[in-house]
Amino acid sequence: MSKYLKPILILIPIMFLQIFGIPFISFSNIGPNIIVILLVYFALINGQIYGSILGFLFGIFFDLLSGGILGSSMFALTAAGFLTGYFYNPNKIEANFTSLNFAFVVFLASIIYFFLFTLIGPDKFNFDLMKLIFERSIIPAFYTAVIALIFIVLVPKKSF
Amino acid sequence: MIEFVKRVIFAIREYLILIALLLISLSLISQSENPNLQKVKSFGFINVAIINSALQNINFLISDSQELEQLRMRNAELMLRVNMLREYAIENNEIKGMLKFTEEPRSDLLPSRIISKNFGSIIGNIIIDKGNNDSVKTGMPVINHLGLIGIIYKTSDSFSLVRTLRNAKLSIAVEAQRSGVQGILSWEAGKLILKNIPATYDIEVGDRITSSDFSTLFPPSIPIGIVISKDNNVSGLLSDITIQPYVNFNEMHHLFVMKVIVTKQLKDFELNMLNSKRENE
Repeated sequence: MSKYLKPILILIPIMFLQIFGIPFISFSNIGPNIIVILLVYFALINGQIYGSILGFLFGIFFDLLSGGILGSSMFALTAAGFLTGYFYNPNKIEANFTSLNFAFVVFLASIIYFFLFTLIGPDKFNFDLMKLIFERSIIPAFYTAVIALIFIVLVPKKSF
Repeated sequence: MIEFVKRVIFAIREYLILIALLLISLSLISQSENPNLQKVKSFGFINVAIINSALQNINFLISDSQELEQLRMRNAELMLRVNMLREYAIENNEIKGMLKFTEEPRSDLLPSRIISKNFGSIIGNIIIDKGNNDSVKTGMPVINHLGLIGIIYKTSDSFSLVRTLRNAKLSIAVEAQRSGVQGILSWEAGKLILKNIPATYDIEVGDRITSSDFSTLFPPSIPIGIVISKDNNVSGLLSDITIQPYVNFNEMHHLFVMKVIVTKQLKDFELNMLNSKRENE
């Protein structure tokens, strides 16, 4: 249980940053999700089951505090954590944290997150698959991956 | 046999856990409007607001003043008055002297400060620093000097949750001020849209959109936005009208709650409509 405590404690300021800070760097409602970055970071260290459960826990807290639909972030973050688990390799943890590898995994996890979050949200979306994939999934995922690059440069390597 | 089943379960445990977690999430989504869950969400949301309020107070003390507050309030009152005069001018040209205004709309404006915003692609809520203690009630319109912002959705003693125009769950009866074309405005796919307006109706880019006389939630003639595009659908019979709101939701920091004075009968009727909407959601 204690291995979930540390990421949840880190999540609290990250959530505030996501809710109150990220809107300032968003354009046309497109912005990064830094909670996904945190999730990928811990899932790459601890594996697939851990990633799924952590995504679920992150989702609960985020849904409760953001005022969104309870369950929507839980669903999307659980799936993102599960996907990240496929890149987990206990013998190559450090390799996953080279800048480009990490950004690539964040990019894929973010696509899953944004796609599912938009799909199951309450928006009466004019169902345009291309718009859903590009405008609502790939572009914000790319933005998130760029932020992840900055993040991974700042995090000390010894913490892996 | 038992060993075999155990081995199979162990081999697919990741997928079993994933399915279980996804099912729990989906069941919570379906129960999202459950009153008990709403209470838990409100508790969490209000706590975020309190923390954010404390942080913002430091900045507020440095940058704001009472005079500025009074000017903002005056500005909002003038905006409402100017818009009402525009309305009168248009109507006077059409039916001079035929209408009698037996009751002039009145409003009391309660200045309020935004303490947290949550704008995503779907959800657009804000929390303000006025609540039950200031006689704020569910269903009161919220405006600033530029126009309509939203409606009070929930209240606590010191805070209120405002559902803004940028919320997919808020639909508003509106009209084009020039031509009187009516429609239902809602937030869809990141835009404010008037859907399914007959293509032959007189509505043009640049038309001002205000709340309608038929609105059961808002007083008439509150400015909302301006028409920026008109897109015909495939059949060419109907149009989707995109509206640019006057209010800049990202930059606003202060607003006013309109303590609308209405007859009790109308007030009850409006609240019934809002409540039935909430039940339907």
